[in-house]
Amino acid sequence: MSDLAALVVQQTLNGVYLGCLYVMVALGLTLIYGVLNQINFAHADFVTVGAFAAFFTATRLATRVLGLPEAGGYLLSLVVALGVGALLGLAVNAAVFAPLRRGDELRPLIATIGVSVLLENFQLWLFGPIPYQFDSPFSRETIRIGRIFFTLQSVLVVAVSAASIAALYAFMRFTFLGKALRAVAQDRETAGLMGINPNLLIGLTIVIASALAGVAGALLGPVLVLTPFAGATVVVKAFAIVIIGGFGNVQGTILAGILVGVIEAFTVQYLGSGLIDLVVFVLLLAMLVVRPTGLIAERKEENV
Amino acid sequence: MIAILAVAALPWLITTPYWRGILVVCAMNVLLALSLNLVLGYTGQLNLGQSAFFGIGAYVSTILVKTYGWNFWLAAAAAVGAAGLLGLALAAFAVRLRGHYLAIASLGFAVITYQVLINWEKVTEGVRGIYGIVPPVRGTLALFYVVAGIAVVVYVLMDNLVRSPVGDTLRSVREDEISAASLGVNAAVWKAFAFGICAGIAGLAGCFYPGFVGTLVPDAFNIVESFTMMAMVIVGGMGTMIGPVIGAIVLTFLPELLRGFGESRLMIYGLALTLVVLFMPGGMVQAWLAVKARWSS
Repeated sequence: MSDLAALVVQQTLNGVYLGCLYVMVALGLTLIYGVLNQINFAHADFVTVGAFAAFFTATRLATRVLGLPEAGGYLLSLVVALGVGALLGLAVNAAVFAPLRRGDELRPLIATIGVSVLLENFQLWLFGPIPYQFDSPFSRETIRIGRIFFTLQSVLVVAVSAASIAALYAFMRFTFLGKALRAVAQDRETAGLMGINPNLLIGLTIVIASALAGVAGALLGPVLVLTPFAGATVVVKAFAIVIIGGFGNVQGTILAGILVGVIEAFTVQYLGSGLIDLVVFVLLLAMLVVRPTGLIAERKEENV
Repeated sequence: MIAILAVAALPWLITTPYWRGILVVCAMNVLLALSLNLVLGYTGQLNLGQSAFFGIGAYVSTILVKTYGWNFWLAAAAAVGAAGLLGLALAAFAVRLRGHYLAIASLGFAVITYQVLINWEKVTEGVRGIYGIVPPVRGTLALFYVVAGIAVVVYVLMDNLVRSPVGDTLRSVREDEISAASLGVNAAVWKAFAFGICAGIAGLAGCFYPGFVGTLVPDAFNIVESFTMMAMVIVGGMGTMIGPVIGAIVLTFLPELLRGFGESRLMIYGLALTLVVLFMPGGMVQAWLAVKARWSS
């Protein structure tokens, strides 16, 4: 393999790994948008909460209290982050989304900004501003194939993302609840007339989205500088991904997430890491001009 | 008239330098909230890019004064023009996009501006920042009078604007673009008009910021600032003239008054913001009107 080919393959792999992380963050945003037509600005902080939950599980609870090996501790922390994310989603739904369901689209948006400020500063008070060192035991294991290197952590990230996407897809396709959820996304009132409780399903969507954010936090923890504001750095990009993929469109979001990851990897290689956000958002604006419906056109009759 | 006297009397009631500084910040926030309200409240366009216009005003005026030795007021005029042009550019997107798409596009606008401020080090000094910026007038008190004076003028002009037929036109774009078009309203032109003015005023507010702080770093124009400005408009009551003014005053002073709570003050701020949205749907102005109506009946 020539130098250039090796470089291209290596950066593409890095990009896919990064893209999977973004997809995990963006999926929750796109789900909530698909079903509720709402933007959740507190999503970033769900990711941060997930990251902290995972950190304390992996470094304190699992290894010191339960006596698990490091690898097991990290895997357990993914599950804990999922649970914590889901609980947080339940709480925010009850406090903000459910009471503000009727009325204009602006109020829930501002309310989630308030929740975001609250969560960030609560964590700041709890954990302080100094970054935590969150090492995944899998980051130390490097796999080498020919001249291509990657860590076991990146394999784990891709596997967990793929599993989450598959589980989400199976849930939407093959279960009754999934079908009901798609019905609510299409037409809330008609679904209600068919005996589906839209409020319950909207709550369920927010819980699923927040659980995904929690797992995303656990996966991102070792990558980010873990402070109470860590999630915010990723979520702005996740917003861009959701738009590039087409609001509320799950397939589009996955495609756009991986695309942005790959573009980012090559931007770092050829232009420098300082320009990442610039490149991504110029792409976003170009996308909005050329094709405002996103990569995969939104089909009105089905957007989850 | 009473309002003008109240503004003039304020610095005598508040004499400590620290609180006088907060007054200047408050006057700037009133300007920012007023300008955002024209786009958000009257024209109904979700704009999360306000921090970009504020930042452009600050950087253009400062660079013209410091590097090219321009007179401050001339530089301020150029900065307002630059911010206004950027507003027109964003309006080009607003013509095509609606609702949340516009919100994210304008957010993207703010991110790009922020990144340019960080990366274009030759001109903006990047994250190192520009230091030793002198305010256009000497002393916090004088600066307050200048900014507050501008805020009062802007308020009066805008109040006249929204009560004129132009205001009705903007509201028609907000309520129903298609019906407005059928009555001969060119929505694209009026959106551009609203965005241009909004950005220009935000740029004007930006001209005074660096002189007041003395330094200029890109972080002051992070996208979070756009959220804060939007919160001011919503908490006060968008689509009313006095609402954003009240929102700006409350949300400037609230975090300061909560300083006694130490670390937890921003938590309370976040909680207060959420609660206002939950329990005062139309903002504080409408809540007040509702209370008054109940009391008089």
